[in-house]
Amino acid sequence: MDELTREFLIESQEGLDRMERCLTDLEERPQDTELLGEIFRSVHTIKGTTGFLGFKRLERLAHAGENLLGLLRDGKLSANQAIITGLLHLMDALRGILKTIETDNKEGEGEDAELIGRLHELQHPEAAVATMNAKAAAASSANAHTPAPPIVHQARSSVPAIPDPETAPAPVDVRGAVIDSKPPADAASESGKPKTITTAASDSTLRVDVILLNRMMNLVGELVLTRNQILQATSLDPNLTLLSRRLDMVTADLRESVMKARMQPVSNVFSKFPRIIRDLSQALHRKVRLVMEGQETELDKSLLEAIKDPLTHAVRNSLDHGIEPPDVRIAAGKDPEGTLKLRAYQESSHVIIEVSDDGAGIRVERVRAKAIERGLIAAERAAQLADRELLQLIFLPGFSTAEAVTNVSGRGVGMDVVRTNVEKIGGKVEIDSRAGKGTTLRLRIPLTLAIIPALIVRSLNQSFALPQGALSELVHIPPERASAAFEYMEGTPLYRLRGQLLPLIFLDRLLSPGAGSTSLASEARAERDNFIAVLDADGRRFGLVVDGLADPEEIVVKPLSSVLKSIGLYSGATVLGSGDLALILDPGSIASRAGVALRSNDEGHAEVSQEEEESDVMASRYLLVEASERRAAVPLGDVLRIERLPLSRIEYIGYRPVLNFDGQLLPVEDSGGVLAAAGGNPNAQVTVVVCREGTRHVGIAVSHVLDVAAGDELFEAGSQHRASGVTLLNDQVTGIVDLGAVPPLPLNPQITSPQLTDWTTETVA
Amino acid sequence: MTTRTGLTLRKDSASTVILEMCSVRVGQTLFGIPITHILEIVGGTIPQAVPLAPSFVGGLVHYRGDVLTTVSLRQLLGLPATSGKHDILVLESASGCFGLLVDSVGEVLTVNAADHEPNPSILDERRRTLFDGAYKLTEGLLIMLDPERLDPMRLGAAAA
Repeated sequence: MDELTREFLIESQEGLDRMERCLTDLEERPQDTELLGEIFRSVHTIKGTTGFLGFKRLERLAHAGENLLGLLRDGKLSANQAIITGLLHLMDALRGILKTIETDNKEGEGEDAELIGRLHELQHPEAAVATMNAKAAAASSANAHTPAPPIVHQARSSVPAIPDPETAPAPVDVRGAVIDSKPPADAASESGKPKTITTAASDSTLRVDVILLNRMMNLVGELVLTRNQILQATSLDPNLTLLSRRLDMVTADLRESVMKARMQPVSNVFSKFPRIIRDLSQALHRKVRLVMEGQETELDKSLLEAIKDPLTHAVRNSLDHGIEPPDVRIAAGKDPEGTLKLRAYQESSHVIIEVSDDGAGIRVERVRAKAIERGLIAAERAAQLADRELLQLIFLPGFSTAEAVTNVSGRGVGMDVVRTNVEKIGGKVEIDSRAGKGTTLRLRIPLTLAIIPALIVRSLNQSFALPQGALSELVHIPPERASAAFEYMEGTPLYRLRGQLLPLIFLDRLLSPGAGSTSLASEARAERDNFIAVLDADGRRFGLVVDGLADPEEIVVKPLSSVLKSIGLYSGATVLGSGDLALILDPGSIASRAGVALRSNDEGHAEVSQEEEESDVMASRYLLVEASERRAAVPLGDVLRIERLPLSRIEYIGYRPVLNFDGQLLPVEDSGGVLAAAGGNPNAQVTVVVCREGTRHVGIAVSHVLDVAAGDELFEAGSQHRASGVTLLNDQVTGIVDLGAVPPLPLNPQITSPQLTDWTTETVA
Repeated sequence: MTTRTGLTLRKDSASTVILEMCSVRVGQTLFGIPITHILEIVGGTIPQAVPLAPSFVGGLVHYRGDVLTTVSLRQLLGLPATSGKHDILVLESASGCFGLLVDSVGEVLTVNAADHEPNPSILDERRRTLFDGAYKLTEGLLIMLDPERLDPMRLGAAAA
C-alpha cells in the first residue's frame, strides 16, 4: 500500500470516528450547526480524497451523504431519527469499504444503490416522514442477512481517540454488512487475513497532541537537569557512580526518543514545492526540473515550521533570478531545462538543507558594484574582498530592497529575512555561487530547539548562558593587560582583535547601568581577569566582556514570563548542573541595545566567512606558529584542529614521530625540532597542529600557536615574480610550512589515505 | 497542587460563610491569601536576581521544571529588600503561575465572610490597588491580597 493511501485511511478513519461522536450528539441536539459542520467536513474530506485516489465506489457513497449533509448544514432540513439512522448506515458502509481497502488495497465490489437511494430520499423531508416505516422495514430486511445493527451499536460505543478498535477484531462481519453480494466463500477466505495485518496502518500509528509532546520534552529537560545535578553530587561516591551512570544513559536514551517523537520528515515541507515550482515556472516561463533528495531526513516539528518560509523564499529566488529562461540557457550551451535541487541531510547535530540550481549564478562584480552604490561598503574595501566574502553582502538588509534585487544578478529579495529567520532558530545560512554555473544556498539547522549548547559566563556574581551558536571565539585579558587592551574612543570601548577594532560591551555595565562611575569600574576591571566573548549575531560582530567563564553546558531552554521577556536581553532561562538558575543572553538584542551597527562597513569583514571549506579567503590567511623560536605560517584553510598533548603520546615508527589518535596514525612533522628539544621530559606538553594535506592528515609539532593573520603576497624585487613558500605576516616575512613535503608514513598505501579524512574536523577559526 | 482541592468553603447552620486564608507575614503586617489560589508553598529558596527587571520582580525560581517569575511583596509595599532565603507562594492567575515572595508563611486561618471590610478610603493609591480589604480578627487585621492583582503581567502593564 502506498503512503498516500495509508494516510488517507488513517485520516478517514479519524474522520469517521469524529463523525460517529457527532452523530450521537446530534440525536440530542439536532439543531447544532457546529456538529453538522463537523460531520459534513468528515464526509467531504473522504469524498475529495477518494476521487483523487480513484476509489469510485467510496466517492459515490460519500457524495450521496454529502448532498444530504449539505442540506442539513444549511438548515434546509432538520435532523430527525430517520436521517441520523441513514447517516449511521452511511458511516458503517464507508468504514466497511475502508476496511476492504486496508486488507485488499481494493474497495471491493458491492451494491450501494439502495443506501444511496435512501440517502437521496432523506433529502425530501415529507417523503422521509412518509417512508419512515418502509425504511425501518428495509433496515430490518438488511438485518435478516447481515448483522448490521450490532455493529452500528458497537461502532457507536467505540472510544474515539483510538482508531477503530472495535472493527479490527471483526473485519469479516463489517464486510458482510456492507457487501451483501459478496459470496460467502470469498469472505471466509479473508478470515485468515486479519492475523497477518496486525500492524495495520491505523493501529501502528497514533496521533499525539503537540502540547503533550512539548510537555514531555519539558519533563525530559527536567530530568536532564536532575541528572546533571546527580552526576555532580555523586561523582565522589564510588557506590553511586554505577547507578548514576545508568541514570545518565537512560536519560540520554529517553531524551533522544522524545526528541524523535517530535521529529517529522522534511518531506512535509518539501512536498509543497512541486506545486510551487510548477506554478512559478509557468508564470516565469522557465523550464525547471525539481530534484529532491533526503526527504526522509527528520527535523523537530517546530523547526520544520520555522524553515518553511525561508525555504520557500529561497526556492522562489532560485527560479526568479537563478534559472534562466530556456532560450538564454540554450545560448549558454546548457540544457534548456534547469534543475533545482532540494537536498536534506544530517551532519552531526545539524540538518543541512540545500537549495541549489544550475542557473546563472551570482555575478560577484555586480554585487560589489551594488554594494558600493548603496553605500554598504567602501570602494577600496570592496576591492579587497574575495568573492566568497562579497557574496555574504547579499544578506545585508540594505542590500535587499526590491529594486536592488532584480538589478543585481540574483538573489537578494529578502535574503536578510531568510538569514534572520534561520538565525532565529539557531541556524546558519551559507551561500555559494559561481557565475554561469549556479548557486547553492545552505541552511544549517540545529536538530532541536529545546536543548542547546551554551557557554556559561559569569558577571555580577551571577551565571549567564551564552548560546554557542553565536560565539566565534574567546579572548582572555589578564589583569596586567586590561588597561592597555581596552581602548576608548570617546568613551566607547574597543578592542583590537588581530588588528581590527571590535566594539565591546561590558556585560556588568550593561546590566547595572546605575552602578558606579566608569572610571571606578575600569579600575576594578584592571585588577581581575577579563574575558571577551566575540559574538556574531544577526550579522553584527562585537565582544561581550565578562568576568569569568565556566564550563560549556547543554542547557534546557525555559521560557520566561512576558514581563521579563520584555526587558529584551534574555531569550530564556535555564537550570544549570549546579542547580543554579541562569538567564540566557540574547546576543542579537544585546547588540541592538548597545547600538552595535550591522557589520556592513569595514570592520570585521575579513572574518565574514569562517567555514571550514577550502576557499580562497582561507588560503590567504595563516595560522602563525612558533617552533623553537622560529616563526612559521600554516595555511588556515588546511588546519583542522590544534591538539595540546603530553609528549608521551608521541610514538615513533623508526625515527618518524607519529601520533596514535583514536586508532588512526598521524605523521608528525618536527622540522622545528620541538620534539627533539623537549626530549627527555615525558611530562612536557607539545602542541600539534593537525592539517589536511590532499587526502591525508599530517601533524606539525610546534611550541606555540601565536595568531591567525592574513598574509600578503611577496614579490621578487625586479622580476615581480610571486615568491612562493613565504608570506608577509604581521609585517614579517614568514615561511609557509610545506605540508606536501611531509613524507608519507611507511604503511600500506591503501590504509593511509582515505580513512584519515573521516576525522571529526573542528576548525580553529 | 494538593492544597487546591482542600475544603475551602462551607456553610454552617447559621449560614455564615467560613473561608480559609493562608496567612503570610511581610515586615510586621499579616496578609491573607485565599488558599484556593495557592498551588504550592515553597520554603527557603533564594531567588535568582534578574538584572534590569522591573523593581517588583523578586527574581526567578525553579519550580517543577518551569522557571517561575516571582513578585516581591516587600518591593511592592516599598519596604527595604532583605537578602537570603524567602518563602514563596506559587499562585495561579488567569495568565499562568507566578511566585509571591514573602518573609514567612504562617498558618491557615479560618475567617468569617461577614468580618470582611473593603479598603478604607484613606489608604494610599498604591496600596489600594494591591489590597482587597481586610478581615477583622480578634488578634488584629488580616489584610487580603488578590492574586489577580499581583500578577506580574498586570503589574508590568501598570508600571509601563
